[in-house]
Amino acid sequence: MNALIPLPIIVPLLGASLCVIAARARWIQRIVSLSALTCNMIVAITLFVRVDDRDMVVMQAGGWPVPLGITLAVDRLSAVMLVVSSLMLLAVMVYAIGQKAEESRYAAFNPVYLVLAAGVSASFITGDLFNLFVAFEMMLVASYVLLTLGGRPDQVRAGMSYVVISLIASTFFVTALAVIYAATGTVNMAQLAERMPELPPGVATGFSLLLILVFGIKAGLFPLFFWLPDSYPTASGAITAVFAGLLTKVGVYAIIRTQTLMFPPDARQGTLLLVLAGLTMIVGVLGALAQDDLRRMLSFHIVSHIGYMIFGLALFTLAGVAGAVFYVVHHIIVKTALFLVAGLVERRSGSDRLSRVGGLVRSAPVIAVLFALPALSIAGLPPFSGFVGKFALVSAGIDSQDWLIVGVSLLVSLLTVYVMVRIWSNVFWGEPEDPAIVAWIASEESRVPRLMTASASVVVALSVALMVFAGPLYNYAERTAADLLAPQRYIESVLGSDAP
Amino acid sequence: MFFLLLLHLVIGIAIVAAGKMLGRRAFLVAAIAPLVTLLWAAAKAPGVLDGDPVTESFAWIPQLGIDIDMRLDAFALLMVAVISGIGLLICIYSMGYFSHDKPGLARLAGVLVLFAGAMLGVVLSDQLIALFIFWELTSVTSYLLIGNDDTNPRARAASMQAIFITGAGGLVLLAGLIIIGQAGGTYRMSELLADPPTGGAVNAGIVLVLIGAFTKSAQAPFSSWLPAAMVAPTPVSAYLHSATMVKAGVYLVARLAPMFAMTGSWRLVVMVIGASTMSIGGLRALRQTDLKLLLAYGTVSQLGFMMLLLGVGEYHIAEAGLVLILAHAAFKAALFMVVGIIDHETGTRDITELHGFGPSWRLVQVVAVVSAASMAGIPPLFGFVAKEKALDGYLEHGDFAGATAVLVVIVLASILTFAYSARFVLGVFGAFGDVDRPVVSRTAHAPGAVFVGPSVVLAVATIVFGIVPGLLDDLVEGATTALYPASEPKALHLFAGFNTALLLSVVIIVCGVLLTVLRTRVTGVQRRASEVIRPIPSGEQGYLGVLRGISAVANRVTATVQNGSLPIYIAIIILTVTLVPAAAFATEIGPLPQWVEEPAHVVLVAVMVAAALGASIVRHRIAAALMLGAVGYAMAGLYVARGAPDLALTQFSIETLSTVLFVLVLRFLPRSWRHRAPSIAAPMRIAVAAAVGVGIFIFALSAGNARSSVDEPSMSEVMVEQSLPKGKGHNVVNVILVDFRGWDTMGEITVLLVAAIGAVSLARPGRRRSDDHAPVFEEILDAGDEPALPEPLR
Repeated sequence: MNALIPLPIIVPLLGASLCVIAARARWIQRIVSLSALTCNMIVAITLFVRVDDRDMVVMQAGGWPVPLGITLAVDRLSAVMLVVSSLMLLAVMVYAIGQKAEESRYAAFNPVYLVLAAGVSASFITGDLFNLFVAFEMMLVASYVLLTLGGRPDQVRAGMSYVVISLIASTFFVTALAVIYAATGTVNMAQLAERMPELPPGVATGFSLLLILVFGIKAGLFPLFFWLPDSYPTASGAITAVFAGLLTKVGVYAIIRTQTLMFPPDARQGTLLLVLAGLTMIVGVLGALAQDDLRRMLSFHIVSHIGYMIFGLALFTLAGVAGAVFYVVHHIIVKTALFLVAGLVERRSGSDRLSRVGGLVRSAPVIAVLFALPALSIAGLPPFSGFVGKFALVSAGIDSQDWLIVGVSLLVSLLTVYVMVRIWSNVFWGEPEDPAIVAWIASEESRVPRLMTASASVVVALSVALMVFAGPLYNYAERTAADLLAPQRYIESVLGSDAP
Repeated sequence: MFFLLLLHLVIGIAIVAAGKMLGRRAFLVAAIAPLVTLLWAAAKAPGVLDGDPVTESFAWIPQLGIDIDMRLDAFALLMVAVISGIGLLICIYSMGYFSHDKPGLARLAGVLVLFAGAMLGVVLSDQLIALFIFWELTSVTSYLLIGNDDTNPRARAASMQAIFITGAGGLVLLAGLIIIGQAGGTYRMSELLADPPTGGAVNAGIVLVLIGAFTKSAQAPFSSWLPAAMVAPTPVSAYLHSATMVKAGVYLVARLAPMFAMTGSWRLVVMVIGASTMSIGGLRALRQTDLKLLLAYGTVSQLGFMMLLLGVGEYHIAEAGLVLILAHAAFKAALFMVVGIIDHETGTRDITELHGFGPSWRLVQVVAVVSAASMAGIPPLFGFVAKEKALDGYLEHGDFAGATAVLVVIVLASILTFAYSARFVLGVFGAFGDVDRPVVSRTAHAPGAVFVGPSVVLAVATIVFGIVPGLLDDLVEGATTALYPASEPKALHLFAGFNTALLLSVVIIVCGVLLTVLRTRVTGVQRRASEVIRPIPSGEQGYLGVLRGISAVANRVTATVQNGSLPIYIAIIILTVTLVPAAAFATEIGPLPQWVEEPAHVVLVAVMVAAALGASIVRHRIAAALMLGAVGYAMAGLYVARGAPDLALTQFSIETLSTVLFVLVLRFLPRSWRHRAPSIAAPMRIAVAAAVGVGIFIFALSAGNARSSVDEPSMSEVMVEQSLPKGKGHNVVNVILVDFRGWDTMGEITVLLVAAIGAVSLARPGRRRSDDHAPVFEEILDAGDEPALPEPLR
């Protein structure tokens, strides 16, 4: 079973190299990508079942014991992230093929996409802080390329902000690694967990803050999120969807992982995180309200909901962390679904400007339904998974008597409903006035390729499945939270089994 | 019970999916759902009325306490009768109303069924969170129904208003329910009733719950969405916005009043809001010329009345409220149906345009008169029975503070009710018909049997239950006992003897007649009064103000935060990431280091600082690249000075290579870059750079000093030790790169590969699309104001 651990990284990388070799044969690239991502999904599900059933699995890369080598470990949190991300990566790949845009036009798409997949998996699997940096780099460099693949001036411009800010984030990450290593003499997370309490409290607190902020840039926390709404919407539908669904959540994952595992309770930054969470929620949703185009709206909206996840973590209670984990899973699937559907909307109506399009409920009822389901969920309306997540968080907040953040989260929830209603009312209701749009909708060209609709439908169906299986999923989230809040098991699994 | 909900779901979705295929028959299919529900309820009724509720449970998320517990007790039965009874009639009525097929009809019929299912869920849930789930579903379906005629901007605006206000209330309600549930240790109402929680948090919780209920039931000051919702087709208005959904708030208050009426400020809040709503609704109804709006404000007023009856936690009064729910459902739905008929046949529902109807309209007129008379509280109709019971309840059992004041309000507002009921009737008969307006009603077609039938059924019910109210004794008494287990409800009577309540009824009718006779003068007074109160913002203006405020704040905040300037973003990010942790590190800064270990350091650092400053000052590209190289060489020098020649060697080769590459590439670009006005002034930039430098210095100092508090050896020590025996290599850097941490190296190699692919794909000439040109760096920078939006139509 342990041999499975590195597969979600190795298989896509192997696939990527095959795709580079087969640069001139798109069909080979496609077969390779789809099989690699399918394989990833199977491995992820196998690990998920095994980890939940028995215990977390640990592997030391190359067989080098701690602290010589690099630890790979899959616990409940990693396992669920792997499953969800592999599902999304596969679905988006299919969508990208159906879209006949970047994927068909550029030979680079397939290999780079697979590297992105490898980077995402590596982030979830690694138990080594420096290796996490490497995983981030793989993911980021792939995202730079994917973002600018179209080569349009606006893409390159947005890509530049994105690259510059990401590089700054990486520089700070390396700085953080350097100072953490200087103080503790290790970058193995389990060892760090052991040594952190020995440090003077101010230093441990400093590290905690530093990591929150470094990962916060990636996650899109206030006031570090500026790059996100400027860059995401410029990419093509498929790429934006995978960025929106996964990349910020890798940052959130890193925050959850490092905060719960490495830092003793007195170095945890509950209050600061709550403040950041609240501001992130508000500024994000206000940003969404100020937009006129669908994908920019949804991009700002990601920021807002990152706040919810951080809110759950910041409580550092079983209910809070469980809520955060649930919310992360929910958000990855539902947000990916929304972006995929936004791509359908744009293809069908020729624009994604709210003020230009309209009436899709009549001209494209299927897209309307596909949008409505995840939109209701993201707006936190029952009985969809967004409601369950919101309920879990609000009820955890009330339980901890953090009234202010509860109030903020409810207010933001109302504004989210407002955002979704505005989208619905402008995109799906009414009638487009612009003759160019009307002509486009009537034309053959505006027909959405079946494959796009099909893969978007699968993701929407998954988002509905989240509702149906909310009970078991929440149970799982609660078990995950219990693991996270008692990191001794993780530390022993890593250090106890293979320690020299 | 779940099968009923599922049935509604399936039928609703099927109708929407069938689309145009069904046409008007969609409503026939829709009628199956309420019909089955009614039959089921009738079958269960005897047992339920015997005090033996039917329960069903589905554990959805037990850990969170979200279980769907259903319970059909007598109160739920009463509500089910209203929901499905009116629902069935509305389905039949819709066949007449939508005589011509039009787009969106299937959506309307399907969503109507979905709504009915959600509404059943509300009244059948025994669990507060389950109730909330269905509650929100009624809001969503109501939104879709109000906006169903989506090309009408007014419909879209009204639907937005409805979901915004009820949605806001819903969230407040959710918070309240969670507080109550956590305090009580359960979300089950039947358990909470046995042992209601108390305490400070609960006091706050019940106010939140009440606010939620008030938004749903259109209580002041949240009532503005209900009149706006009248833009929906009449069947929707009759069903959702008078008979069922708007009663959800009343229903919830009725359920919780037995538990919380004595807690905190519950009773006071209910009395104040209920009384204001009842009066304001009545006053505004009296001013309307649109029959539908008149009825809508009348509904607002009646909902206030129901709050006053069901919310004060006194079972005699609550019993009257239950009767009122039934009576109101009968007369108000019938009146709406009449308005729908008039609107449909004449194309107007404005009383100044109606001039009375021909003789073939007799039946419609009878229905209108009977129903309006019931609303006005004239014997021997159902509405009179309800009002008598209410007056009697407050007279005999209103022994709590404020009860007398409420009674006075009820009497006054009932006079208004009489007056607007009379206004409705006179309007239908053409008494307000303006001679200058075209006459359409006289010659209008009489409606068909299917169209009138449902309202006739309701009018007959109004008469029968008015004359023989005893028919409902079992149901009403059972429902009262379901709410207040210890109660001993009294039987219903048309004539309960000569008592004070009867006297008050006489007063109401006499005053109402007076108001009606003096209606022109009353209108004048009202107009003057409305001018006086104009400065006080109405609920409608409040809503619009909130929307404008949100929009203004959103634009302001976003313009400030997301200003599009990369230098500003960077400044904020680097300051945040360095200064916040630095504040923590500064508390453990420890002793300062020895500044100069070797003289060589001074030279190297001086070179490094000078080159770095130079690189940021010069405009010449190649010079800048060379200075960057110098920084790297000085760094390598520091490695040599620290005794790490292998590292230094690596650094030297990297610096050399990258400088050469830089120079090669820069040849193709202009020699120096254009001067661009910086978005941050120079002193500011210097300050930011200095602050970041100091911050990082504090990190390093404090982290380095903390090393002494950790006893374990560093990784590097272990690696140096194990390099030869385990890694079989003398050069420890090599062993680390290819062996110990080869996994990292694999990742970094991948990074390089991808970067190369990216660079090639960006720079490759002759890109596949002919309209593309690879943008040059400066062009990109200058393209600041271009919209970053892909438009396929461009």
